[in-house]
Amino acid sequence: MKVARSIFAAALLAATSMPALSADYVISASADYSGPFADVMPNAMSGINAMADWWNKEVGAKIGVNVEIKIYDMRYDPAQIAKTWPAILSSDRPIMHLGFGSPDFVTLMKRLPTDKVPMLIGTAMVGLVWGPDGWHYSIRPTYSHEFAGLLSHLQEKKGSKLIVGPISTQNQAGFVDQVNGVRKLAETYPDRFEVLETQWVEASPVSVTANIRALAAGNPDVLLVGGTTAQVIAAASAMGELGLNIPIISSTHNGLSEVAKGVDLNKLNGSYSAFSFAPPQRKNLPIKDVYEQHKKEGQWGLIAAQSAAQALLGLRVLEKAVAKVGADNVTGEAMRNALLENVFTEEELLGALPTLDYDETAPFPVGDLKATAEVVRDGKIEPLTDEWLSVPALEKW
Amino acid sequence: MLPTGIHPTCYAHEARVLITPRSRVWLAILIAGLLAFPLAAGPYMLGVFTHMFITLMAVYGLYVTVGMAGQINVAQSAFVGVGAFATAKLSEYGLPFYLVIPAAAVITGTVSILFALPAARVKGFYLALTTLAAQVVFPIVILALPMSWLGGLVGMSVSPISIGSLTLSAPIHFYYFTLAFVALLTVAVFNLKRSRFGRALLAVRDNDVVAEVMGIPVFKMKVLAFFVGSLFAGVAGACLAYFLQFVTVTSFTLFASVWYLGMLIVGGVHSPVGAILGVVFITLVQESLHDIANSLMQSGASGGVLFALTSVALGGCILIALIFEPRGLAHRWQVLRTAFQLWPFPRN
Repeated sequence: MKVARSIFAAALLAATSMPALSADYVISASADYSGPFADVMPNAMSGINAMADWWNKEVGAKIGVNVEIKIYDMRYDPAQIAKTWPAILSSDRPIMHLGFGSPDFVTLMKRLPTDKVPMLIGTAMVGLVWGPDGWHYSIRPTYSHEFAGLLSHLQEKKGSKLIVGPISTQNQAGFVDQVNGVRKLAETYPDRFEVLETQWVEASPVSVTANIRALAAGNPDVLLVGGTTAQVIAAASAMGELGLNIPIISSTHNGLSEVAKGVDLNKLNGSYSAFSFAPPQRKNLPIKDVYEQHKKEGQWGLIAAQSAAQALLGLRVLEKAVAKVGADNVTGEAMRNALLENVFTEEELLGALPTLDYDETAPFPVGDLKATAEVVRDGKIEPLTDEWLSVPALEKW
Repeated sequence: MLPTGIHPTCYAHEARVLITPRSRVWLAILIAGLLAFPLAAGPYMLGVFTHMFITLMAVYGLYVTVGMAGQINVAQSAFVGVGAFATAKLSEYGLPFYLVIPAAAVITGTVSILFALPAARVKGFYLALTTLAAQVVFPIVILALPMSWLGGLVGMSVSPISIGSLTLSAPIHFYYFTLAFVALLTVAVFNLKRSRFGRALLAVRDNDVVAEVMGIPVFKMKVLAFFVGSLFAGVAGACLAYFLQFVTVTSFTLFASVWYLGMLIVGGVHSPVGAILGVVFITLVQESLHDIANSLMQSGASGGVLFALTSVALGGCILIALIFEPRGLAHRWQVLRTAFQLWPFPRN
């Protein structure tokens, strides 16, 4: 009897002295450690990991939730994703997947509603998948929306109609879609924008001098090159040959920091990268401080900023889901509902993203959309402004 | 070479694929192993095997065209793409998979005839260029057609296969589904060589002038070689479409065609066993290098360098295989098998 009492007392003591149990959840993430984006992966994944570490310590501990980030090398290859995704589902049961680019989209888009796992990607959307009731979302609107934000800013500065000269690649659906979206912008606001005839070039062109000459005949205020880094470099070289100096607008994947690896930035003074998360060089950026304190590897820059913003939104969604269904009952469906039912403020997102609102009509934020941009000044990349740029309303194209 | 004591008494006996009881036992063990594999393998490994089976179907087709008929084909990926798009389109109409897959194979075969007609008139580099045209034309046609037809730039989604109330979505489902098809195609390809048609293809490959003199319609045989090879590609494309549940032109590149050809050359062009060994070897090397690169990457090595190194290492593995065994892994397999059959007697 004495022994039994002692065991009971010991067990009670052990139980009361144990820390409170937390609910563990997995958020899976696609990486490309052995594909075309392998070089930027350490920075990309460091953004996700740093945010998860910070959130577990500062937020998760308080609400009784612990998140484990599980990164899978998908090689930027749909076949690899198709092979890996079922393994992720059965072994990790993720409540959300952080995707990386179009291979994740095309492979998982149809499966996610059945698998009941929402996907959040960090790259911008394309109008081609602008449809209702999806389970795939981006932290950013379409590339065209982002370009529209910058173009609108430039047009307001100019005061008269802004003429845009697009260069793109015809056999890449996403790149063609960018141009289609900007054409829709010009159709919607004909007194503000004019888009010249698109110059279709190779993804890795040897020279685009003839194309730039053709565009220059229309006196464009800016060249829109949303496709590849090689196209931006070729456009810069062509302008050098022709003695022209027309600002180029690129995106993030082919943006200024990527272009700087292949061309002297002094040749690109006045050129822009348009996107819709906070420029990494922005002053007083709370997410940067969090990243620097919690990163284990990597460097703060465009790709780290993008992936940190992506992970942070996912974690904020989890907070809202916990608030609604409780710490122990979070599922993929609860995560999707939390994403759709709540507004995520810029403050909650540590300044990384503008205030975001999602609904079932589109796979990207809706409502009052914002964009931002970087510009080259004196051979250095700087944020264009400290404020977000307003994106003019655009109907689906 | 047969083991001592095996004396074929008729042609049918001699023509058997599995002549000895021991070889039948080994085959039974292989089949049992493949059937039981999901019990031991995780979902990822099942995915790897599923993809390997699909690749093998495409390489079997290439074996018929290149290995049996001697017609160089660098457009197999495009023909796989035709099968995949045909599947996506037909499944849109709600057709069941058992109608869609044969139909996709026939459509692919028919499309291949368009390119086979000019290809059958030329040889060597010219033949390679003709088939290259098929590879180049494939995406152009898909992109040029109205988007409502074959999805254009966007591609097409494919509904998963339903058998009664069961929807094939789990890795184990796809594993058995593709295993069944690859088994069927394996039987077909091993038997093809022993058929009248197969022997005619071999004759055309070895010497088309002599074949013509012997009464074999060489032109017809060359066209049929493309047709039959593309039937295999069509089945591979259909399985790939169901596996990925999305088809887009960017998945069917010249690069993939070259890989298919590389797998066949490494394995051994003149034997269906070569197709199997080539696909297994390349898949194994690719997966191993990927795992090593991943581990190194996680421990801080530069990703870009690793990606380049894995490609170099893969190319190196292929070079080593070709330098040390130019007749392909199938020949090495044959040597090994003969040594085993003759053991304990020495082999000259």
